[in-house]
Amino acid sequence: MMSLPARLGALSPYLQACGPLKALLPRAVNTEVLMKPAVCGHFGARLAHTDIKIPDFSDYRRIEVLDAEKSSQESSNARRTFSYLVTGSTAVVGVYAAKTVVTQFVSSMSASADVLALSKIEIKLSDIPEGKNMTFKWRGKPLFVRHRTEKEIAAEQNVDLSELRDPQHDRDRVTNPTWVIVIGVCTHLGCVPIANAGEYGGYYCPCHGSHYDASGRIRKGPAPLNLEVPYYEFPDEDTVIVG
Amino acid sequence: HLKPTEIQRFQRTSRQSAVVVVHTVDKMVASMWRISGAVNRAFGRAGYPLLLSLRRGQASVSYAQSLLGAPETRLTTLSNGLRIASEETNQATCTVGLWIGCGSRYESEKNNGAGFFLEHMAFKGTKKHPQSALEKAVESMGAHLSAYTSREHTAYYMKTLAKDLPKAVELLAEVVQSSSLSEADIEQQRNVVLRELEEVQGSLQDVCLDLLHATAFQGTPLGHSVLGPSANARTLTRNDLVEYISSHYKAPRMVLATAGGVNHDELVALAKQHFSGISFEYEGDAVPVLSPCRFTGSEIRMRDDALPLAHIAIAVEGAGAANPDIVPLMVANSIIGSYDITFGGGKHLSSRLARLAAELNLCHSFQAFHSSYNDTGLLGIYFVTDKHKIEDMMHWAQNAWMNLCTTVTESDVARAKNALKASLVGQLNGTTPVCDDIGRHILNYGRRIPLAEWDARIEGVTPRIVRDVCSKYIYDKCPAVSAVGPIEQLPDYNRMRSAMYWLRF
Repeated sequence: MMSLPARLGALSPYLQACGPLKALLPRAVNTEVLMKPAVCGHFGARLAHTDIKIPDFSDYRRIEVLDAEKSSQESSNARRTFSYLVTGSTAVVGVYAAKTVVTQFVSSMSASADVLALSKIEIKLSDIPEGKNMTFKWRGKPLFVRHRTEKEIAAEQNVDLSELRDPQHDRDRVTNPTWVIVIGVCTHLGCVPIANAGEYGGYYCPCHGSHYDASGRIRKGPAPLNLEVPYYEFPDEDTVIVG
Repeated sequence: HLKPTEIQRFQRTSRQSAVVVVHTVDKMVASMWRISGAVNRAFGRAGYPLLLSLRRGQASVSYAQSLLGAPETRLTTLSNGLRIASEETNQATCTVGLWIGCGSRYESEKNNGAGFFLEHMAFKGTKKHPQSALEKAVESMGAHLSAYTSREHTAYYMKTLAKDLPKAVELLAEVVQSSSLSEADIEQQRNVVLRELEEVQGSLQDVCLDLLHATAFQGTPLGHSVLGPSANARTLTRNDLVEYISSHYKAPRMVLATAGGVNHDELVALAKQHFSGISFEYEGDAVPVLSPCRFTGSEIRMRDDALPLAHIAIAVEGAGAANPDIVPLMVANSIIGSYDITFGGGKHLSSRLARLAAELNLCHSFQAFHSSYNDTGLLGIYFVTDKHKIEDMMHWAQNAWMNLCTTVTESDVARAKNALKASLVGQLNGTTPVCDDIGRHILNYGRRIPLAEWDARIEGVTPRIVRDVCSKYIYDKCPAVSAVGPIEQLPDYNRMRSAMYWLRF
């Protein structure tokens, strides 16, 4: 691309400086001969448009258009496709990079690792013997993990749903019937029930006398709902991650 | 339909009785005749002469007749390869000239401008007729002797009375074959050429279009201007000119063309007498072959805020002269048309770009052009505008191009075809344009393409063809842009390149 200030005559005001200088020289010197070639030089000439030489851009040309005696039409499709492909893929990569950067910055405002760590609890199940209920602190609340015996499992599964205040079958409350995992907060007014107590072989809340069974369901007493079952999963036989 | 009495009056008063324009205008003519007949009768009784001659609906020659009635262009070739072509019409004058297939495209960097210089030297005297004798001979015939040089053609022609044909051919033969090229004249003409170069700087249209060629065909001979650089004007020697003549003025590349009251056989005899001496052999058998010229999408900006108006040209690579695509491209250019601020049509002009130019005051003038050379061409739009309207004008000009490639309609094409046919016929209004037409056609196509053939080719253009051909040359191509004047507002090249396609689909 070429730009050219065409009117070099625009520089002539700066060349008027030739004039005043004359007076500074001693009179004896012939000023005519001195001034003209020294300062005014080429600036009086004006370019004709045919004197403008388009520079040789061969260093920047693609190989297909280096030859001045070959029509550029044949390669024009290929060149254009190449340019568009490069532009297109750069755009795709750029959009992906932008999306990644933005999500990284935005998600930095979400919960940090230490907070997230508190939200899950990993429990080693082999520590809990059969028939025993263990309590853990999880998200500020007590978490009951109960290792049920075969008898308890069978009993709970055979309970008639019409007897229950909050009907839920046992299989809907557990993933693996051997393990019952519930939040140990009484649904009546929030006390912590006592394990292996009460008339139904489950839990008993001492505050107002709510009886829960081995599946955590309310059987007797003022509590309206069954004990809450949190989200948990078994990554392997021996561990459960709650939360 | 015309009643018998009206037909009689028609035939009695019309100047050419052979013509009765019956098919399309008869009803209108009939009603006009009834009115004019009545009025004339009324005036006749009152003693007034036949003032009101409402015969404007009647053409003297119908379009169909003008196509078929044109005399055939006869073509003969001499033994040395010189071609002689003539169109004989019953006229008292004629134009006779030599069209030579050489121009600035055949020049190199070192001798660029030789053809132009030679054109200056042509009328400075020959071996037989020194300058004053040559001038006297021409003036005494009352003839006009001129020449022009372009990128691919050079022409020397004379407009004279038909009866002076022998003398004219003799003088032309001398000018071309035995120009004296004296050293003194060469030195004198140097200054003339330099003055002409200086003067051409004032014609910004020429500057802009020359720069367009320079950038579009950069690095190739088509980029050379016909005038040549000033350095060459100062240093070209007699040797250079003689070498130019001996390498390019060869008989197979020359056409002796004539139009007017000239008999072809007489012309051939004269040619044999005067032009048999032109050689057809090249030194060392080095026949100059035209190699293709690469087109480069590029731009050149010559900014000068002191100039009042900006002159801008944008062009894409077009079709060569012999390419059948030139007909749809000519129709396409006709759709865009041309405009000047002095046009009175305003918002009722037929070209959409012209309507916009008039309503939004976009420019002082614009024209769509297609310069075609042997194997390539430049298809573009040139416009002159105020410095605050450049961006808008460029946007609408490229928009017009996009419309050509996508949405051109049946009515656009019909109108353009008519305008194009009219202009083709209208341009051949004299022996000189006809002679020029003959010369250029023989050089480009090897034969004269008659108007009837142009008409048939134009008639075969449909909107689909216009869209396809324009898409082939314009859509998503890199343009060449040249701009002179206060061009700060001219958009960046990438933006102009982006305007060469639309986000469709």
